[in-house]
Amino acid sequence: MEPQNIININGIDYSFTPGETILEVATRNDIYIPTLCYLKGMSPTGVCRICLVEVEGVKTLLASCSTQATPGMVVKTDTPAVINARRMNIELLLASGDHNCLARSLDAGLWTDFQLDALDIEEHRDLCPAYGDCRLQDLAILYRVKPDHVVPVNPKYDVEDVNPFIVRDFSRCILCGRCVQVCNEIQVNKVISFGYRGATSKIITRGDRALKDSDCVFCGECLQVCPVGALMPKQDMALRTPVNEMKKVRTTCSYCGVGCQIYLHVKDNRIERVTGVEGTSPNLGSLCVKGRFGYDFVAHPERLTTPLIKKDGEFHEATWDEALDLVAKRMNDIKRDFGPDSIGLFTSARITNEENYLAQKFIRAVIGTNNIDHCARL
Amino acid sequence: MSEVLFSCWNGKVVDNRAKEADTLESPAHISLPANFFNGKDIKAFMGWGGFVIKDSGISIVNLCVAFLEKVQQESCGQCTPCRIGTKIMLEIMRGIAEGRGREEDLADIISIGEFVRKASKCTIGQTSPTPVIDAITYLREEFEAAIASKNSLTKDDTSRYIGKVTAPCINACPSHLNIPQYVEDIKHGRFLDSLQVIRENTCLPGVLGRVCVRPCELSCRRANADEAIAIKHLKRFVADFESDRHITPKIPRSTSRKDKKVGIIGAGPAGITCAYYLAKKGYQVTVFERFGEPGGMSAMGIPDYRLPRSVLRREVEIVQSLGVEIRYNTLVGRDITMKKIKDEFDAVFIAVGAQGSSSMRIEGEDAGYKGYIPGVKYLLDINQGRDPYPEGKKVVVVGGGNVAIDCVRSSFRVGKEDVNLVYRRTRKEMPADDIEVKDAEEEGVKFHFLCNPTRIIAENGKVTGVELIRMELGEPDESGRRRPVPVEGSQFIIDTDILVPAIGQAIDLSFLDADTQLEVTRRNTIVVDPETMMTSEEGIFSAGDCVTGPGALVAAAGGGRTAALRMHEYLSGKPVKRSDGELMEDFFSAIGVYDPAEDLGIIGGGQRKHLKMMPPEERKSSFAEVESGFSVSEAMIEADRCLRCYRIGVVAL
Repeated sequence: MEPQNIININGIDYSFTPGETILEVATRNDIYIPTLCYLKGMSPTGVCRICLVEVEGVKTLLASCSTQATPGMVVKTDTPAVINARRMNIELLLASGDHNCLARSLDAGLWTDFQLDALDIEEHRDLCPAYGDCRLQDLAILYRVKPDHVVPVNPKYDVEDVNPFIVRDFSRCILCGRCVQVCNEIQVNKVISFGYRGATSKIITRGDRALKDSDCVFCGECLQVCPVGALMPKQDMALRTPVNEMKKVRTTCSYCGVGCQIYLHVKDNRIERVTGVEGTSPNLGSLCVKGRFGYDFVAHPERLTTPLIKKDGEFHEATWDEALDLVAKRMNDIKRDFGPDSIGLFTSARITNEENYLAQKFIRAVIGTNNIDHCARL
Repeated sequence: MSEVLFSCWNGKVVDNRAKEADTLESPAHISLPANFFNGKDIKAFMGWGGFVIKDSGISIVNLCVAFLEKVQQESCGQCTPCRIGTKIMLEIMRGIAEGRGREEDLADIISIGEFVRKASKCTIGQTSPTPVIDAITYLREEFEAAIASKNSLTKDDTSRYIGKVTAPCINACPSHLNIPQYVEDIKHGRFLDSLQVIRENTCLPGVLGRVCVRPCELSCRRANADEAIAIKHLKRFVADFESDRHITPKIPRSTSRKDKKVGIIGAGPAGITCAYYLAKKGYQVTVFERFGEPGGMSAMGIPDYRLPRSVLRREVEIVQSLGVEIRYNTLVGRDITMKKIKDEFDAVFIAVGAQGSSSMRIEGEDAGYKGYIPGVKYLLDINQGRDPYPEGKKVVVVGGGNVAIDCVRSSFRVGKEDVNLVYRRTRKEMPADDIEVKDAEEEGVKFHFLCNPTRIIAENGKVTGVELIRMELGEPDESGRRRPVPVEGSQFIIDTDILVPAIGQAIDLSFLDADTQLEVTRRNTIVVDPETMMTSEEGIFSAGDCVTGPGALVAAAGGGRTAALRMHEYLSGKPVKRSDGELMEDFFSAIGVYDPAEDLGIIGGGQRKHLKMMPPEERKSSFAEVESGFSVSEAMIEADRCLRCYRIGVVAL
């Protein structure tokens, strides 16, 4: 390592690799710098300005997530100027939208006008669905910010819930841009971006249409990274189960052979939400529309839980042994009477590669035909 | 000029409010031009460095509201301090202006303003609170009076406020490209969006990305900390990104076809640009070009190793895809008369450039010796694939500009062995691009500085040499460069087969017939009204080198675009005049946007990326493009160095 690659943070020297940001060096050395818009592995945008630090010789405060360490840099992460800037920042963010959560812990007399106004909105009469799982709320509590004197500037937005998966509530959006980053850099669907200017800025699709009328494929990547209550899963909104009442169960997604790692958020033996497991292969937190939203079949009343055999035009419940015996017998009969080519096998992406291999082995070696195909080919 | 009542610029205060007429001070760091806006005087100005008030009728509160409104309009809305902070400042200030002010408002504005200034990502947020904070600091009593009175100040305000955003680079660019925007798009990987931003102001991104003289980079604030952003190379990168991938650009254009027809003379940068913007508006445009190739001087005067012809052709094809017809090999005056063009078209745009060569005024120049070839003609031949004078092997080029450099560098490429450049001043004064001079040195051009030709030596009608006289530098002339003075008796002779004068270009207006007698200057440039871009004859417009004299490609292109705007106004019956935005840009130039002495207060050290070049020995014999463009990652890293130095200003009229 080059000897000059040393940066001083809060009075202590640390070495760094060229290209590392101040935030990365600090995090590696257990120095806490709060972040909001920062996403590990993405190109930092430095827009939320929560991770500001003081750097000697620089007039302004710098976003530690997007400033690379340079030799001899002297950084301070918690001076009064830095703390005050963070507090003011959080205060402005709270004032910029309908963030009514903190009013919950106050006497009614201490509620501010904008918090009361927020409660007047139909969708906001209840607690914010992100309550307890909101980085802005965490930061406001950490920095003891009470938005009591700033004029609110929240432009009014209607809640967009016209698609079956994602509810967009821009009055709770803090424009951190994480959703834009993952849509553009991870999923590369490039559906959303920053639109308009100044305080009327908003995350928009092309032409500012609803998600369902855009190129969105509803992978829900944006939902997973939204730090506040601006993007919520629709199924979840109806239930409004507080985060701390749900149990996280890690499992493998059963939709296809990729083997995405998912968390089922379970309450009373019912799945209430699915999220990707971050930092783990193969999906590193990403999911597709099926894995993330297609879980209602699990507890669906019409779901088949046992094989059915049709007798005299009606289905009757049967055991697996009965069902499999019947299938084996009928297949043998058909093969004998009409020849192996009268049978075809259609496999599914929901089984693994190994199982797909076995399926073709079965149809070729056991049945004796090449009639095999797969749903992914259609 | 009316006097300044109060000004505060970069923290320097001038207060003339209570002074006698003879003791008035003038602010040293900012002066507002008088009668600037169509003869109207500016009553007040508020911008990135502070504010100036000249008219006592101006309410500083209303000026702050107008300024903050503009800031909110321009704030990109990404970083929290600027997006929300300036909005809250605006709302509080508007409350004061409308008689709803509270006592604590001023303290709130200052505390939020100071936060915005310190915490914002780019200079919109970092500079915009300053004038408001300064106004409250120095003119507090006016704000307090407004709060106390509870009256609305906005009702009776008859002033007109014009706001505009600029940046040092935008202001310096004759085509006023939105450079920070397109550079930011590159940084975020939105290369085609970036190109769309560029095409708002020029249709020649690939050409300018290669040969622009880049006034923007000379005004780049980043240079105060380390090195200017490689703006030109970034422009080339996005242009190449599109063409390398054979992407057909989507050019937004007016859906309504207009029945008015426009004739353009000259398919050079000005003519092509004018055609592009008029075609986008729906006009039927026909361009008359004397050569069989588009580009004018950029095709005929710039060698292929700097600007491959395919780049130019592609950009012209895009213009043609908008319906522009180009009639090649059509010399106005020979193949079609000016009169016929005037009859056939509703408006005419003359963009014939400066295609002649200036004379050196020395003995033997008019004798018609073989081997005496004017610079523009010399390049024209080479660029058409001909060796101008195959027998000649030794070349002397006279001049210090880009044409002279192109002549010497091209000489190697057509097999000339001994290539010399004669310039009457020193290398430091050479107007040619420094990088190109360096490239020429690397390729082996012999430079003879402080020399000037006095006589051509010829035998049997062929050039055999040139007599030079030594020069020394005297007093500075009007261009600020020291005037070269001949040293008596210092004549000497260089043997040469070819002598190429490249000391300047002249304008040839011989195509104009008796029917069209346009007013011209002493230098034979066409006179146009800067307000309307119209010549002395109604309906005939002109821009580019034939109006300005030989100049930069980007200036000609910018002129072509401005002319297109004026012609659109003329053809659609609107008042033909410079827009508020254009006037504001001029106003910003007058007060100065870039301060080379400014201490940015950032940590520099970010190295500018350079293009890879062919080694001198390999490139000097080839017309293949010498520089290869940025890779995707190089471009994105370079774009990340941009500081987004947007600046906002509002004037009150």
